[in-house]
Amino acid sequence: MLTKKGKYGLKALVHLARLPAGQLAFVGDIASGNNIPKKFLDAILGELRNAGFVQSRKGKDGGYRLARPADEIKVGHVVRVLDGPLAPIPCASRTQYQRCEDCNEATCQVRHLMLEVRQAIAEVLDQRSLAEMRDIAIDELPLALKVQA
Amino acid sequence: MTGRANSIIIVGGGASGVVLAAHLLKSPNPDLRVTLIEKRPHFGQGMAYSTLLSAHVLNVSAAGMSAYADDPGNFWRWLLERGLATSEQAPVYAPRSVYARYLKELLDELEARERETGRLRLIREESLSISPTPSGVEVALANGTSVVAHLAVLATGHDEEPGAGQGHAIRMGSEADTPLDAEAPVLVLGTGLSMVDAFLSLEQRGHRGEITAVSRRGLLPSPHRKGNPIKLDVADIPLGTQLSYFVGWFRDLIRENQKAGIDWRDVVDGLRPFNQKIWQNWPTSAKRRFVEHTKAWWDIHRHRMAPEVYARVTEAVQAGRIRPVAGRVVAIAAGEAFAVEIQSRHTKRLETLEVARIYDCSGIARDISTTSNSVVRSLVDRGLAKPDPLRLGLDVTANCELIASDGTVSAKILAVGPLTRGTFFEIDAIPDIRVQCARLSKRLLG
Repeated sequence: MLTKKGKYGLKALVHLARLPAGQLAFVGDIASGNNIPKKFLDAILGELRNAGFVQSRKGKDGGYRLARPADEIKVGHVVRVLDGPLAPIPCASRTQYQRCEDCNEATCQVRHLMLEVRQAIAEVLDQRSLAEMRDIAIDELPLALKVQA
Repeated sequence: MTGRANSIIIVGGGASGVVLAAHLLKSPNPDLRVTLIEKRPHFGQGMAYSTLLSAHVLNVSAAGMSAYADDPGNFWRWLLERGLATSEQAPVYAPRSVYARYLKELLDELEARERETGRLRLIREESLSISPTPSGVEVALANGTSVVAHLAVLATGHDEEPGAGQGHAIRMGSEADTPLDAEAPVLVLGTGLSMVDAFLSLEQRGHRGEITAVSRRGLLPSPHRKGNPIKLDVADIPLGTQLSYFVGWFRDLIRENQKAGIDWRDVVDGLRPFNQKIWQNWPTSAKRRFVEHTKAWWDIHRHRMAPEVYARVTEAVQAGRIRPVAGRVVAIAAGEAFAVEIQSRHTKRLETLEVARIYDCSGIARDISTTSNSVVRSLVDRGLAKPDPLRLGLDVTANCELIASDGTVSAKILAVGPLTRGTFFEIDAIPDIRVQCARLSKRLLG
């Protein structure tokens, strides 16, 4: 269950991953380029900085850049920082478990299956780096256009 | 590498070598040839399990000490079958000499079973070097002969000599460890589980003098308690973050569990299945910070002592027999005795101490390029191996392959056990080594 926060965070990181290594981006530019409310983006980038995925510089020439090369940052690792444990529904988490009002988790088959689903989510997202995610869009855009035509 | 790697030499017949041989020989391949080379008279002991002292017990309970990754109850059943434990006793911390016997019997059984097939060969001799040849590898032995195979796996474990810069320190039980006056004060470098082993050995010998134990933080290991590790999934655990973020998450996790009445040990142990994954996903900067700042704290919570041993150590500390000091040794003057100058970590005050003996218990990690092991040394000297970036061991891939000084990956020379600490992090204990050996066997033999 990717929240808006998670989605915005990933978009912002892809934005940074497109820049030449070391170059900083203004928060305003990232926000307007990706349709993200700036205030929200400030908070998101702050969390990504605390986790060590981005670095910031203050001042007039300030901004954000990736703390590590894009191929060393895994998408699943970013999502955990922004959205918490990977989980398709809130009850399918072991550390941030949220009880469902309307069912008994011990006998809930749905929860049981969703615990399996989250392993699959982790397997996909932990294999993919930011660089790979960035390049999906570039590779598949012409293909998508061709299909349309 | 399917079908080609039929012959494998394991250099080092201590615990990890025997565990690897046992996993390889599970393969039904009739052409498999496993050669296990050990310089000590006995296989399966190495440094860890050669102690005869009954007070030197395993630091992991018997339920976790099976040699086989796919049969976790193997050691526990072995103890029960021989009447060395009863099921009501659990958790049992068996003497290490008993574990050595378990590994010996396991190897004896394999040897008997493979006598007809010729798939297992044991050589009692020191290995000097490993050299790649066009068709595989050649291992030169101290008796002037050599053995060849498709590939070699280093399983040489911990270094036998104290690390460089330990001055006049010696290893407990080594030749230099001559009889001491019972009242003589001694200094131990280190306050972890090796220090505890040294204390137990001294007690056994009737030693009564003061034991000063120095480490940077002066922290003693915590005791085990019967518990139930919490259940975690990889989807719950933050990976690839900076160290401070991870530590914050883990502290919160412990706090929440403690609120629910769960012991911190169950949280620490619940993380164990993921420790290698966490380590491998950290950026080098986080690994370095962990080794420098966090590891000492992690170790005392993660590497614990059996409750009976903890009781003895606590009593000795209270009685002033063991004196843990947070600080560092700044100078040692050798005369009739050693005059050791120690600087306290907190007050920065200098204290001079007269001791008759200095024991090195400062941990098993040391710079691999200064190793006393000739095989490893010669590989590093020839550029066929190099230390990992943090110098915890040899640089290996996640598939246990050695990485040469020019960065090339060797398909013929591999390593398991403590030598691979840089890549596998917690790879000193059987529960981790057996998983590593099972995976490697599967990859090599299918």
